[in-house]
Amino acid sequence: MDLFELVNFYVVPGIVLGSIYALGAVGITLIFAILRYAHLAHGDLATLGAFIALAAVTGMGVSPYVALPIAVLGTAAVAVGIDKVFYEHLRERPKIVTVMASLGIALMIRAVVQVVWGVDTQTYSRGIVRPEDYFGIRIRDREIYTLLAMVVLVGVLQLFLTRSKWGKAMRAMSDNPNLALLSGIDNKKVVMLTWVIAGGLCAASGFFLGINTELKAMMGWHMLLPMFAAAILGGVGRVEGAVLGGLIVGIAEELSVLVIPSEYKAAMAFAILLFMLLVRPTGLLKGKVL
Amino acid sequence: MSALLSMENLTGGYGEADILQDVSLTVAQDEIVVIVGPNGAGKSTAMKSVFGLLTIRGGKMLFDEDDITGWVPNRIVQRGICYVPQVDNIFREMSIHENLEMGGFLKTGDLSAAYDRVYTLFPDLKERRKTMAGSLSGGQRQMVAMGRALMLDPKLLLLDEPTAGLSPKYMEQIFQICRDVRDTGVAILLVEQHAKQALAFADRGYVLAAGKNRHEGTGADLLADREVAEMFLGG
Repeated sequence: MDLFELVNFYVVPGIVLGSIYALGAVGITLIFAILRYAHLAHGDLATLGAFIALAAVTGMGVSPYVALPIAVLGTAAVAVGIDKVFYEHLRERPKIVTVMASLGIALMIRAVVQVVWGVDTQTYSRGIVRPEDYFGIRIRDREIYTLLAMVVLVGVLQLFLTRSKWGKAMRAMSDNPNLALLSGIDNKKVVMLTWVIAGGLCAASGFFLGINTELKAMMGWHMLLPMFAAAILGGVGRVEGAVLGGLIVGIAEELSVLVIPSEYKAAMAFAILLFMLLVRPTGLLKGKVL
Repeated sequence: MSALLSMENLTGGYGEADILQDVSLTVAQDEIVVIVGPNGAGKSTAMKSVFGLLTIRGGKMLFDEDDITGWVPNRIVQRGICYVPQVDNIFREMSIHENLEMGGFLKTGDLSAAYDRVYTLFPDLKERRKTMAGSLSGGQRQMVAMGRALMLDPKLLLLDEPTAGLSPKYMEQIFQICRDVRDTGVAILLVEQHAKQALAFADRGYVLAAGKNRHEGTGADLLADREVAEMFLGG
C-alpha cells in the first residue's frame, strides 16, 4: 500500500469523521464545564439535527447546505426546551439524577425520530459524488466543507468565549459559580446560552455525519461513545482539547481497520477512552473548567 | 450622623439553628469597622447576614435608608454592597482584567472609569492585567478579589478575613489598601482573625462571642480593655 492510498482511504475519512466527533465533543465539554454533568442525550440530539435538515431538504426543496442553519436553529431551540422542561427541575439534585434523566431523553428523542421519519436509511441527495483529485489526494467537496465548518464554528466559539461579555460570563460560571452569582451574573441566561451553543453544534455534527454517510435513527447514539472519548482525551472543559480529541479518535478509528477487522472499528473509541482514563485522566491538554 | 448600615437586634442562622442572637452593629460612611472574636463566635455569619445569605428570624437590617432585611444577594449587590468571600474569591482561569470585568458585569456602559479606579488602588495589578489570576500569590489574589468587588462602585465593602494565610508584610499592605479604599468614600466592614492588628488599624470594632455582642468601641479602646485583652492576647 502506498502513501496516497493510506491518505485517501484512511486519513482523509479519519479527519472527516474526527471533525464530526469534534463538533459533538465541544458541546459535551461545554455542558460538563458549566452544568457539571455528562449529557447522554447528546448523540440523539445530533440525530434530531440531521433529520430536521432532512425535513428542510425534502419539504422545502432546498440544498442541504441551506438546510444546515435551519437544523442548527431548530436543534438549539429543542435543546433549550429540553433543559427548561426536564433538566431545570433537577438542578439542585445530585448530578447523577440529571445524567440518568438525559439517558431517558436520549431514548425519547430517538423514538420521536423513528415515529416521524421511520427506521429506514435515508440520504440528503441521491447519486454518487466523485472525489476531486488534488495532486493524487482524492477529496470530495463535502469532506472539505465538513472540516471547514468545524474549524469555523469552533473558531467563532473560541472568539465568543474569550472576547464577548457573555462568553466571559460562561467561563466565569464554569470557573467559580458562587462568585459568578455574587458578581450578579445571571446563571439562567448562561445555562440557556450553553444549550443554544451545544444544541447548534450537535445539529452540525449530525448533519455532517448524514451528508458524508447516511441518515438513520441510531446514527447519533453510535457517536456518543467516540464523542465522550474525544472530550475526555482532550481534557474535559477544554474546547481546543475536544477538537484535538475528536480528530485523534476519528483518525484512530479509520486507521484501526488496517490491523483489526472493520466490525471492531467502534471499539477503538472505547479502547482510547479506557487507556486515557488509566494513564492520564485529566486528558492531553490538562482538563480544567472552561 | 446616621449610619450607612445598621443591623438592629438581628437573630438568625443557617437553616434551623440561630447562630446570631440579638446582634446589633452599625457602620458609618467613611469608616472601617472590624468584627473580631474567638472561633465560632459568629463573626463571618454576622457579615454574611448583611449580604442576605442567612435566614433571619428577628431584627432588621437598614442600609442607606432602605430596609434590606430579607433581600436576595443579587438585589443587595445592585443596591451598593459588595462581598469578598474568604476563599474561592477569584476566577482562577481568567486574567486579572477579566476578573475585574466580571466584577462590573451588572454595570451597563463604559467600565473604563471603574478600571482606572481599581488600577490606581492596585498598581501591581495593572502591570499584570493579562496574567491568569490563579497563578498569582495569595496577597495579589486578595487584591484581585477586592478589585473585582470594587468594580460596581459599592458604598459598602464586606471583607471576610482578607488577611487569612498572608504574611505580615502582605497583611500590612492589605490594611493600607483598606484605608485607601475608605478614603475614596467606601465604608468597609471586615471580619478578622488577627484581632490585635485589626483593632489597631480599624476605626471601630465589635467583639462577638457565642453569637452575641460582647464589646464595642474604637480600636484603641478595645485594645486597652482588660477583658478583651485577656480574650485575645492571653492576658
